[in-house]
Amino acid sequence: MSKRQLAMVMDLNKCIGCQTCTVACKTQWTNRNGREYMYWNNVETYPGTGYPKNWMELGGGFDAAGDLQPGVIPNLEADYGVPWDYNYESIMTENADHNHFQPHVSPTWGPNWDEDQGAGAFPQDNYFFYLPRICNHCTNPGCLSACPRDAIFKREQDGVVLVDLDRCQGYRYCIAGCPYKKIYFNPKISKSEKCILCFPRIEQGLPPACAQQCVGRIRFVGFLDDEESQVYKLVHKYKVAIGLRPDYGTQPNVYYVPPTESPAKFDAEGRIIEGSTRLPIEELEKLFGPDVHHAIKTLKAEMKKRKETGVSELMDILIAYQHADMFRLDNHYYQEVAKEQKRTPLAPVDTRYIAGKFTKAGGHH
Amino acid sequence: MKKLLNSLLSLGVVASAALAANPAITAVKVSDSLDTIKADSALWSKAKFETVILYPQTSIEMNDKKANALVANAKGKKAQVAALHDGKNIAVMVKWADKTKDVEQCMVSDVYTDGFAVQFAGTTAKPQPLPYIGMGSAGRPVVVHLQKATAKVYEPNGNKDVSTQINRQQTGVFEKELADFDAKVASLAKTDYEKVFVAEGFRSTTEIKDNSVKSNGAMVHGPAGWSGTLSRPLKDEYVNLNGTVPVAIAVWDGSSMGRNGLKNLSSWVAINLEGQTPNAAMVAELTTDSKGNAAKGKEAAATNGCTGCHQMTAADAQSLLGPALKNVGGYATPAYLRESILKPSAVVVPGYNRNAHANTPWYNIEKGKRVSTMTDFSFLDKATVEDIVAYLKTLKSEVE
Repeated sequence: MSKRQLAMVMDLNKCIGCQTCTVACKTQWTNRNGREYMYWNNVETYPGTGYPKNWMELGGGFDAAGDLQPGVIPNLEADYGVPWDYNYESIMTENADHNHFQPHVSPTWGPNWDEDQGAGAFPQDNYFFYLPRICNHCTNPGCLSACPRDAIFKREQDGVVLVDLDRCQGYRYCIAGCPYKKIYFNPKISKSEKCILCFPRIEQGLPPACAQQCVGRIRFVGFLDDEESQVYKLVHKYKVAIGLRPDYGTQPNVYYVPPTESPAKFDAEGRIIEGSTRLPIEELEKLFGPDVHHAIKTLKAEMKKRKETGVSELMDILIAYQHADMFRLDNHYYQEVAKEQKRTPLAPVDTRYIAGKFTKAGGHH
Repeated sequence: MKKLLNSLLSLGVVASAALAANPAITAVKVSDSLDTIKADSALWSKAKFETVILYPQTSIEMNDKKANALVANAKGKKAQVAALHDGKNIAVMVKWADKTKDVEQCMVSDVYTDGFAVQFAGTTAKPQPLPYIGMGSAGRPVVVHLQKATAKVYEPNGNKDVSTQINRQQTGVFEKELADFDAKVASLAKTDYEKVFVAEGFRSTTEIKDNSVKSNGAMVHGPAGWSGTLSRPLKDEYVNLNGTVPVAIAVWDGSSMGRNGLKNLSSWVAINLEGQTPNAAMVAELTTDSKGNAAKGKEAAATNGCTGCHQMTAADAQSLLGPALKNVGGYATPAYLRESILKPSAVVVPGYNRNAHANTPWYNIEKGKRVSTMTDFSFLDKATVEDIVAYLKTLKSEVE
């Protein structure tokens, strides 16, 4: 376990599946140099196959006794999808041949191949929601346990899980060991790579690209020991944000506010069945464990309270008024860590999100 | 008839004894420099090849489900090994059967590469015991030269689609295209994958990147399989090879998802440098079998509780505490086995692995040192220890 843990909360009630986070991450980190097929951030439709295909069935993580479980490494073409491109020039020029606009390979699978399909029968009881996923920067990472070279480490200062590319030899046991399949093999350099929680941005006062660009404002970022942070309040104070698949035993540090709002079902005549809900609670229990019941109860109660009294701190947080409140990156803390490590502390490039347990708002401490 | 049968039987005994311990290899002295030697060099016609058996590594089970299924019944492999030296450099050739040619690729996530490695002992002042076969041990470093199979194939879409290639015969017509293609290959295709590592134990393996070790590795695939060659200086910052050079050889099969521990490896093999005085003790250690009684050793292993923590014939992580000993006879030296029985903490593989279950660690850290949870068997009499060593030396898979 690291000294402190930086964490993210994603409010699934508000994710609209626009993939802005995915694009923000891709353009920042993964559109080049062997990373083209990787999505460090992806948004998948749940229920669905997910990315990579059927990742929940590929093993990894720990059993109840704490033993690492064997896993399967996904295939690039069949499970991730070849990152195909199009011959845009065929339609962008004056003498365009519009009949030959095509992908450069014939794709057989790709991320979101089953987007928006979900489950149930339309229009009676079909349902789905979006599940954005990044590396969970686990407290007990499966990838780290699986590595026979000690090439994966968890940063002491903020718990970010990173690959030491100097030590990594591309064995890929980490991919088998990660139950979320959020660590990838870069065939061009024969090494594993993964989400770095945008630590170079964090250290300069900028939230991760996925969080800052999120148009639905579903992502909160802060330290779990910072009682002022909205992350702390959602995870520890109200306990409405829960890690994905806690049964994998890795203690993930990306937390989700479960989707509470789903429309009612229709009967055979197309009439609303009062009091019904399309999203089966069993599905949420599978994803978030038994704690999901308490979380949903709290969310419903606070929603009701807000409607009746106009006051609810929890609802105010989830409305996400200000980025400056959603992101608390504790810049002074990072500067002190840099000094301790005899590095030059970097001045924040943005002063709006630098508050934290050891950093007063406005940059003073 | 009886006489014939007897002589046949004794021949059989001799043959199995020859299989049990690897023969010493003579590195033939040549006058040409070996620092850039490749597999096709005529110098290899002078070399004397010996058969070395490479056994599947089964001490630790890795966490790759598909790979584990592929290697579940892995057998020992025969390799033909020869060496040359020129007084300044040593060259080793390893030939082994592998029907499939698996080379590094650009657009894959779960495809692996054939390769081979030659391990040299960093210090040989004390010939016994040599560094632990799996990446050395604390105070007993090893230097490992790794060569993986690569080929210049331009396959931007991962479909092995080489349709963009141009017939090299038509240089007159396609000069510019060929130049463009070569530039593309250079930028996209895999380049040589050759690395040198120094290690003082499993997990400590560190790549030497400052060019302080010269390494000249190559692999050539033919109908019979691979020929891998490696040459390196006899003396540098890390090794000082003279007289008898102990080496260990490993090969990986990409088709079996081989990499890292998923490999076949030899025990330490003695290479005598022609024209120099061999290290008789080391040659004896590496070429002769344990004098103990294996049948008695098997009984002693059972009565002393070895099988409580070690698997002797199986290798599955679920029921393991100590390393599986299924192939230990194939890659461990008698000296190492003796040491492990008498001083279990002399070599302890660190870190988490699937054998080390969270609730039953195989070592504890005491005063910064790894202390094995294995009982110290130094109370056993010498003969019993030798019997157990002889028994452990019989533990190995059959050879293909």
